[in-house]
Amino acid sequence: MRLIVLIIISIAIVFANEIYFEHDMNKAIQKAKEQNKTVMMLYSSPTCPECNYMKHVVFNKKEVNDYIREHFIVLSFTIHKDKLPKGFEYIGIPTFFFLDKSAKEKYKIIGGSKAEVFLQRLKGIQ
Amino acid sequence: MRPILLLSLFFSSLLFSFDADDLKQLKKEGSCPMCDLSYADLHGLNLKKADLKDANLSHANLSDTNAHKANFYNADLSYAKFNRSDVKGVNFINAILKSVDFTEARLWNTNFAKAKIDNCNFTDAALGSAIFRDNNLTNSTFKGTILYKTIFKRNVLGIPKE
Repeated sequence: MRLIVLIIISIAIVFANEIYFEHDMNKAIQKAKEQNKTVMMLYSSPTCPECNYMKHVVFNKKEVNDYIREHFIVLSFTIHKDKLPKGFEYIGIPTFFFLDKSAKEKYKIIGGSKAEVFLQRLKGIQ
Repeated sequence: MRPILLLSLFFSSLLFSFDADDLKQLKKEGSCPMCDLSYADLHGLNLKKADLKDANLSHANLSDTNAHKANFYNADLSYAKFNRSDVKGVNFINAILKSVDFTEARLWNTNFAKAKIDNCNFTDAALGSAIFRDNNLTNSTFKGTILYKTIFKRNVLGIPKE
């Protein structure tokens, strides 16, 4: 019994520290308003190594992970698969759009970077 | 004395400059294989999928360019600058890469097989999933370079550690 409780607690801890990716624009905007956060919209693809580096390495660095969960609602779209919202220009992936409360682009980061650099950029947005 | 000096300056500038027609062709058609673009200022240009195989791009300034999937096969890029450029998926096979500045360049998926790499600067560049084969990296700089899933195949000397 004790083992089961421990496993459940461990799983809960792991998931609590994971960044949740929204896939619905309206839902993300609503959540951002309620939680007074900014929507970070990510255009990526599973076949893009730079995107995978950002999602699997940079986003998992504790400082970046904590900062994102505290300040952003992450909205993720896969190009060539998902229907992309209109009005957001991009020349390559990954591209990170930061949206205001009316879902308009207020800032954009093109390309990936090391965790320290990405965190500095995120801090510059707030 | 003065005319001789002026003449020598004129001829030396001819010796160290690109072919104006070649530059025109690159800007118009987006490609220029086997062209002489040495010392050309290509800063900020869109060179996406440009074919520049066998071109002479020594001392060219390619900083802040979008050279995504461009072809530099067998090109001479000695002393060229690629600072902050998007060089993803580029073909550098057999290219001469002597003292090339790749600072902050995005070199994801780039193929460096058999490139003559000598004293290049990869500081803060991203080399994720890039392919190296038959290269000597011993005297190049890899400070702060992203080496996520970088592929070092056979005969690579001086493999950097992240």
